[in-house]
Amino acid sequence: MKILVVDDSGAFRRVLTELLVRAGFHDVIEAGDFKEAISAFKESRPKFTFVDMILPDKSGVDLTKEILAMSPDAVVIAMSSIINKRMIQQSLEAGAKDFLLKPTNEIALSSVITMWSE
Amino acid sequence: MGLFFKKSRSGSSQKESRLSVSRKYDLKPGRSYIVQESPPHMSFDAFVNIVSTNPVAGGAGKTVGLAVTRQHPEIVREKYGLEETPVYWLATRAGDKVISPTNLGILAHMLVKFAEDTSDGIILLDGIEYLVSNNDFTKVLRMVDQVNDHITQSGCRLILPVDPRAFDPKELALLMRNMDKLA
Repeated sequence: MKILVVDDSGAFRRVLTELLVRAGFHDVIEAGDFKEAISAFKESRPKFTFVDMILPDKSGVDLTKEILAMSPDAVVIAMSSIINKRMIQQSLEAGAKDFLLKPTNEIALSSVITMWSE
Repeated sequence: MGLFFKKSRSGSSQKESRLSVSRKYDLKPGRSYIVQESPPHMSFDAFVNIVSTNPVAGGAGKTVGLAVTRQHPEIVREKYGLEETPVYWLATRAGDKVISPTNLGILAHMLVKFAEDTSDGIILLDGIEYLVSNNDFTKVLRMVDQVNDHITQSGCRLILPVDPRAFDPKELALLMRNMDKLA
């Protein structure tokens, strides 16, 4: 299963990729901003996309909308380092399936993937 | 809110809403969980996730929480979006919702009372290293054991983040002996 990780922090992307690999998901692609993410998504069509809500160019909400417009069956999981109810609400309204608090961990990550893989 | 809980305050007024989406941590009532980490990211994530989501098994009500932390409550509230959950600060300052690290009796009483009064609850006890630096280890262990005994007989769960670098192996083993390991 292909997974796309979108976050402007290279360090966080590496940690998340490592957690995903440890959880058994080896096909992970990374992107650092909106443009890279769109291009990676078009090329790879991942089942899951983990999207940081705050990106350098456009927002995570914009990216969520764009991804789901291209592929309505894609699963987008919003991420943020703070819990902001309005932001979570906007992400869900844009079509994100779930929310992860950063930094995340294997338990939360596996739980989200299991839940939305079904 | 005072230092001690009344049964009515442990009810619906302290339930959080919509901070998370789905329950990601399956912590069993009546069990205590130790999390070896620093800073306590997973502990807070699990706590916030559980107080703001419905149980996995499809239970009706949300879980009520109580947090005790070394971090300032306003920082905790802002970062984790906690509005209703009581957050107590372990500090040597006077004030509402502040507990002195040397007042282990009051801390234990508060946690035990919460466990007894809450049918579906969760306690986060963050800052055990600070408690140990202000008391001797045996006293803190006795307090944790006392709380743990009450948790076992209640519908509550306890999350205890521990920085393993702050304890020697024997102390860590003593802390962990009646607890499940998270992660």
